[in-house]
Amino acid sequence: MPLIDAKGEAIVDAAAPDELLSPDADLTALLPRLGELAVIAVEFPKFRDGRGFTLARGLRQRGYQGDLRAVGHFLPDQFGALIACGFTSFDTPPEHSPAQFAAALAKHRQPGQLLRRSLGRALETA
Amino acid sequence: MALHVITGNRLADGISVWFAGEAGWAEHVDQARAYDEVGLEAALDQAKPADAELHVVDIRAVDVTQEDGKLFPVAHREQIRARGPSVRADLPAGVWHDGAKALPPLPSESSTSPFAGIYRYDDYDRDFLRQRAKEFGAQVARRQAGELSEEEFKPLRLMNGVYLQLHAYMLRIAIPYGVLSATQLRQLAYVARHYDRGYGHFTTRQNIQFNWLRLEDVPDALAALAEADIHGIQTSGNCIRNTTTDEFAGAAADEIIDPRLYAEIIRQWSTDHPEFTYLPRKFKIAIVGAEHDRAAVRVHDIGLEAYKNDKGEPVFRVFAGGGLGRSPYVAVKLREEVKLAELLRYCEAILRVYNALGRRDNIYKARIKILIREMKPEAFIKMVEDEYAALPADYCVLTDEIVQAVAARFPAPEFPRQDTGILKAEVLDDRALARWVKQNTHPHKALGYVSAVISLKPVGGIPGDASAEEMEIIADLADKYSNGEIRVSHVQNLVLPHVAKDDVPALFRALVKAGLASDNLGLVTDIIACPGMDYCALATARSIPVAQRIAERLAPRQHEIGTLYVNISGCINACGHHHVGHIGLLGVDKNGEEVYQITLGGAADEKAAIGKIIGPAVPTAKVPDAIDALVNAYLNVRETGERFIDTYRRLGAAPFKEAIYATH
Repeated sequence: MPLIDAKGEAIVDAAAPDELLSPDADLTALLPRLGELAVIAVEFPKFRDGRGFTLARGLRQRGYQGDLRAVGHFLPDQFGALIACGFTSFDTPPEHSPAQFAAALAKHRQPGQLLRRSLGRALETA
Repeated sequence: MALHVITGNRLADGISVWFAGEAGWAEHVDQARAYDEVGLEAALDQAKPADAELHVVDIRAVDVTQEDGKLFPVAHREQIRARGPSVRADLPAGVWHDGAKALPPLPSESSTSPFAGIYRYDDYDRDFLRQRAKEFGAQVARRQAGELSEEEFKPLRLMNGVYLQLHAYMLRIAIPYGVLSATQLRQLAYVARHYDRGYGHFTTRQNIQFNWLRLEDVPDALAALAEADIHGIQTSGNCIRNTTTDEFAGAAADEIIDPRLYAEIIRQWSTDHPEFTYLPRKFKIAIVGAEHDRAAVRVHDIGLEAYKNDKGEPVFRVFAGGGLGRSPYVAVKLREEVKLAELLRYCEAILRVYNALGRRDNIYKARIKILIREMKPEAFIKMVEDEYAALPADYCVLTDEIVQAVAARFPAPEFPRQDTGILKAEVLDDRALARWVKQNTHPHKALGYVSAVISLKPVGGIPGDASAEEMEIIADLADKYSNGEIRVSHVQNLVLPHVAKDDVPALFRALVKAGLASDNLGLVTDIIACPGMDYCALATARSIPVAQRIAERLAPRQHEIGTLYVNISGCINACGHHHVGHIGLLGVDKNGEEVYQITLGGAADEKAAIGKIIGPAVPTAKVPDAIDALVNAYLNVRETGERFIDTYRRLGAAPFKEAIYATH
């Protein structure tokens, strides 16, 4: 499945994930090794299952700086939220083409969290 | 021999349609083709491709009987789907509007309410809503083009407040913490008139619902509302919903802290929150800042009580895990005190634990209240505290600067009017006025003012419904008498929060003229009722006609009876808050018959309690008798000054059980 970055552009020669997290993963065991992992993938079994968003934020807030990859079933409509939670690469699902994801970043799409402007950097996690 | 028809709802306008074989989908059940067991399977195969072709959703077979060549669905719900709401004979089901009319200018182009206590939008806020309306328009188009499946589209439309109900799409519009300007109410009236069939329904969560939307019109309706700074964002779906509060916020004499500022901050924080928009289940936050809890915070996912600490700073007592529905619980207190700067951080910690651990395998066990009980409150609190402690120190801190910036967007109302004694003099000669003032006004923090409640519960009417004309009349009265401001209460009434006492007689006369002067606030006819099976796809029984019959029966004695909250839900999801009614009624389906379980002793305030079922369910026709019997039992034994709930708390259920079940 095509892999894209947070601009919706294709990634070629991507590294395979060092770790694949299921949505019920417990980060505690992973924390000591965060610095060693170049790519962590987080699985979305269904787009409605939002645990991956919390996993991503948790990893970023605990200092993970590598590539964070969304895999599984998610929607172009969630692209902005995935990016805001710290995902940097996206294994797009067969139902939705990379073009649909790129289109989701166009103007008048996905305004994003309303308080973001006031909280400013305090909300940035990536 | 059992007969079946095949039915579904049309994607474009949501109306119920009926499969007519080669003729395709018909708009009326009379045109449907009936199938026996043998033919049904092949017919379903024939009908189902419509789903793939994007015309009809939720295709299924329902049982019918045939009389005189006409087809009648067996289930009550399907009868109502086929015909229209039983309580609105003037509104038959089916196509009512082709959506092609040229519309007049929006009220917001010519109406302003500069003094109303709403949060003032700037271009950023307004652009946000316009973008959302456009985004939803694009999502509808993608659904119609097949880029989104129904399964994928559903959560997206829900997050914009769009449900598919029995007769059409329902659009739920948020009224943030129940505060509206007159201009906004006019804009709602405009949507009711031009995109709906002339009315709206105010809900227990301080929202308004329109019942007859065409999906294709929704983006336009949302764009119209955006021009008045209102929206349907997160009024449904598994996300953080509209934050609710006290309908007398900023006005009540017993208020410690005006909660609207914090409710607005929570609204902005929770709107499009990237992490918490696909939660295990919906999530409701309520906040109150008065001694008396008028926001039912103990039956919310998160309940906040704002108060002042020793230093006079605003701080928050935090509750979580309250809720009604299938498993009703009073909330657990997580923290006695959270500082303002930490409010969002603490809420983030709660939501993070819930998002990670809340059950996703069973919709009925997915709310935070279940997680807290399954984990035990102590363990849950510890996890929240650990998560809170692990947050980066600078993450999501609510600085004074942010709070002041949001606060500056609320106009500070002035209350210059003195009480010159006009009202006092007039009530001496006008008993109707005196009774309305006693029943429907609430003490205001400014001496010359009161808050006035406009009851949307006329005896025999539909609780919470208001026509476009009524909304416009109320908007005009708000402009004239209440700084252009209106509140929606969680008991489905409207409030003019700031009325000079001197103006009360004139306001009352205007309400009488408009038929809006029901003097029943808090009385037995001021019933909370969900839309029930007349509209709602989830309901198992009708709520509205039951409310109407109870009100008609008890109206003559309502003032004698005094304070008595009767709450009615048409299904276990408890939108009618039956668990917290002094008398609660839950409509259930028993072998095709609508029957009602009666609970007693519920309360939603600071003495929150879940009502207890008192005995076997009562058939629809017997409900007014049963309520009458409960009231008689109360009147027989009440002591001076005792409300129904006080008598129940003193004596328990025994005299009430006896009253209902001994007469059967």
